[in-house]
Amino acid sequence: MTEQIEKALQREYEAGFVSDIESDTFEPGLNEDIIRRISAMKEEPEWMLEWRLKAYRSWLEMDEPEWAHVHYPEIDFQSISYYSAPKSMKDKPKSLDEVDPELLKTYEKLGIPLHEQMMLAGVAVDAVFDSVSVVTTFRDKLEEAGVIFCPISEAVHKYPELVKKYLGSVVPQRDNYYAALNCAVFTDGSFVYIPKGTKCPMELSTYFRINEQNTGQFERTLIIADEGSHVSYLEGCTAPQRDENQLHAAVVELVALDDAEIKYSTVQNWYPGDENGKGGIYNFVTKRGICHTNAKISWTQVETGSAVTWKYPSCILKGDNSIGEFYSVALTRGAQQADTGTKMIHLGKNTKSTIISKGISAGKSNNSYRGLVRMNPGAAGARNFTQCDSLLIGDKCGAHTFPYVESRNPTAIVEHEATTSKVSDDQMFLCQQRGLDPEKAVSMIVNGFCKEVFKELPMEFAVEAGKLLEISLEGSVG
Amino acid sequence: MSNWLNGAVARAESVSDWLAPKRQASLALLREAQWPTRKTEAWKYIPINVWDRTELQSDAVEVNAVAESIEGLNSIDLVFVNGELTSDLNDELPAGLSIVSLADASADAQSWAAETFASVKPSRHLFGLVNDVLATQGVLIDVAAEAVIEQPIRIVNVLTQDSEAHTRVLVRLGQNAKASVVEQFCGNQRSKNTGFAEYKVGESARLEHYRFALQTGESLSIGGSHFELATRAELNSTLVGFGSTLQRVDVDVTHAGEHAFAKLNAIYLLDGKELFDLHSTIEHAVPHGTTEENVRGIVADNSRAVFNGRIHIHRDAQKTLAELNNRNLLMSDRAEIDTKPELEIYADDVRCAHGATIAEIDKTALYYLQSRGVSRSQAQIMLNFGFINELVDEMPNDVLAEWLRPQLRDRFAAMEVK
Repeated sequence: MTEQIEKALQREYEAGFVSDIESDTFEPGLNEDIIRRISAMKEEPEWMLEWRLKAYRSWLEMDEPEWAHVHYPEIDFQSISYYSAPKSMKDKPKSLDEVDPELLKTYEKLGIPLHEQMMLAGVAVDAVFDSVSVVTTFRDKLEEAGVIFCPISEAVHKYPELVKKYLGSVVPQRDNYYAALNCAVFTDGSFVYIPKGTKCPMELSTYFRINEQNTGQFERTLIIADEGSHVSYLEGCTAPQRDENQLHAAVVELVALDDAEIKYSTVQNWYPGDENGKGGIYNFVTKRGICHTNAKISWTQVETGSAVTWKYPSCILKGDNSIGEFYSVALTRGAQQADTGTKMIHLGKNTKSTIISKGISAGKSNNSYRGLVRMNPGAAGARNFTQCDSLLIGDKCGAHTFPYVESRNPTAIVEHEATTSKVSDDQMFLCQQRGLDPEKAVSMIVNGFCKEVFKELPMEFAVEAGKLLEISLEGSVG
Repeated sequence: MSNWLNGAVARAESVSDWLAPKRQASLALLREAQWPTRKTEAWKYIPINVWDRTELQSDAVEVNAVAESIEGLNSIDLVFVNGELTSDLNDELPAGLSIVSLADASADAQSWAAETFASVKPSRHLFGLVNDVLATQGVLIDVAAEAVIEQPIRIVNVLTQDSEAHTRVLVRLGQNAKASVVEQFCGNQRSKNTGFAEYKVGESARLEHYRFALQTGESLSIGGSHFELATRAELNSTLVGFGSTLQRVDVDVTHAGEHAFAKLNAIYLLDGKELFDLHSTIEHAVPHGTTEENVRGIVADNSRAVFNGRIHIHRDAQKTLAELNNRNLLMSDRAEIDTKPELEIYADDVRCAHGATIAEIDKTALYYLQSRGVSRSQAQIMLNFGFINELVDEMPNDVLAEWLRPQLRDRFAAMEVK
């Protein structure tokens, strides 16, 4: 039975191809000169360089975190190249017609066509290739609404006031080891600003692609939703199939000002390595948002890729009545290791948070939920509900739950529950007895298990997520 | 490194008795050990420095303390005052039961005890290692196979002003044996003690266990009860903790034989500036084990409770059933609860769940009682009592439950909103 289930969960990594694109890549190594060169490449102002160097100096004094339930050989930060960009991007193409067709082909192959007429209406894409943003679509249409959606390297020049004010305001430079590294060497990423009272007219999306060998990707995303605004943002990512491990250390900062709402969805599909754990991406990401009064931040993530995942999208519920949500499906198979979860820090009165985490482990993988819910003394009337369910497929994998719950306010209510189970023989028998083949049956059961999270995803993503888990969504309705 | 720990290591070097080889091994670990800081996961929430900082006046120790017996319990009492065994062990004992003092154990007792010593208690507990090297006082309790001991065995540790004590209890239950052991700690003056107990529960044996960690006030106490369950063994354990300047209890249960059953109930009630830290770890190393753990706490005034409940299901432990539930009532806006129920699972055919809640007293229930003419403070006592009485009711020994209830009631009365 387990064999059938495992077979049903196996799939090829479809995004594992390499694009043959000539790149300008820095020689491996990390020092202040490299940082100066990155900054010079981006023609950054002096304050930005100082900010990077400050982060680098703190990083040198910090220790790599060891508390996560993951094991990997020590990373040699001197053997990584910190900047790589397609040569064709050097002249800064003005429009899509000037972009290297090979680059466009890469995205087409990944199912992300960048020609606006070919795209799903209503999704604007910022495509980041190694260390640079290739193109951002629908910018004119967004500008009409006053929405800023551009590469962060461009925002540093065009909107220095906003960047200065908010960069590092949610995830400070010294926050943690990988965040400090990111602050020092980040190359590109997306910048979003939604003006007061605006509902962003379309979904915004960033697609991250690592292509070059021996590089690391360090992107940085900053989303600011001004008072009363609303935005939904999607993030996707893939990388070629290689035997070496590659590091991806990103930082995402969300700022939801009074009455604003940010919905951030991720389908993470970095190359997970082969069945024996060879190759794959180390995904060490810091994501955090701050909610001001009546604001809401909702994180939804579907994690299927990466050799090692270390990721805790969090919410600081600073303003009264603010809301934080975290919906997660993490699937690990082969030799993958995931340590993921969230932090909900309740500071304001009547703040609410919901955490729904579904972990599926198969093969020899290890899947951990690690979370923190903290009710500070000021969080009167705050409320948290957490549910962590794990599904084990096979007897060689592991599923773990490490929830920290800290309460310092008597009127706050915290509830945490977790269960662990397997795809039972009874469920399989019932489905097969009704004429479903075993693969369909597993899909259906797994899909049912994840349904609470999938329903939070925007339509296009829900379809992709379903596909990723080899699950037909139609089967689960009802 | 801590001055106190350096001193302890120095003192341990002069300890020499029949446990010497075991003590040496622990001493070696202790020399390598790091004094915990806020970054040490096992001591994350408790300021351990208070142990180091607290100075005891060694000339002020008073020894004329006695432990009151529990009426109607008819127990075999073993009383330690400041770590010295004061009970006479020559009284006649029921057939099948042997109790000897650690200091003058017979060769027979030495052989099983040396095997048990530090084998059930995991070596990761820093203060367990301290106890390994310093506990020259203690008792060895051996229950022969098939023996059913009706009389509870009660081990009392009384601590008085400025005393420091390290005591050890080793218990072995033979096949099909049955026994009931009560570990009781009392004293409310400035003192330091470590009290660790190791239990080997044999095949199909049944152990009823109580740990009353009732030290309060300025006392500093760190200890643990550790169990190893053989095939079809049964453990029913109840822990009751009051807080003090520092109270820490570690409970470890290892399912070493299949079809073993462990039921663990724990209650903590804190007031004032008290601290209480309970860490429990359940190791399911073999298939078909069952664990039910229920932990409830009420935390008032300026106090702080920490609970860390870990369930670890090893690769081979298929068909395990394990449930852990932790419920807390927070009574004041200066009190704090930090709870962390953990699951670590490597086997797929298991049913495991945990839950944790933190809330305040049900306002509507309070209102209901007040509307029926019950005063607010009385209503609060009633509701608090109701919250934990379920676990008190589950205590298999009614005499102990009756003895405990008034003490709990007194705690609740003191806890009312000030």
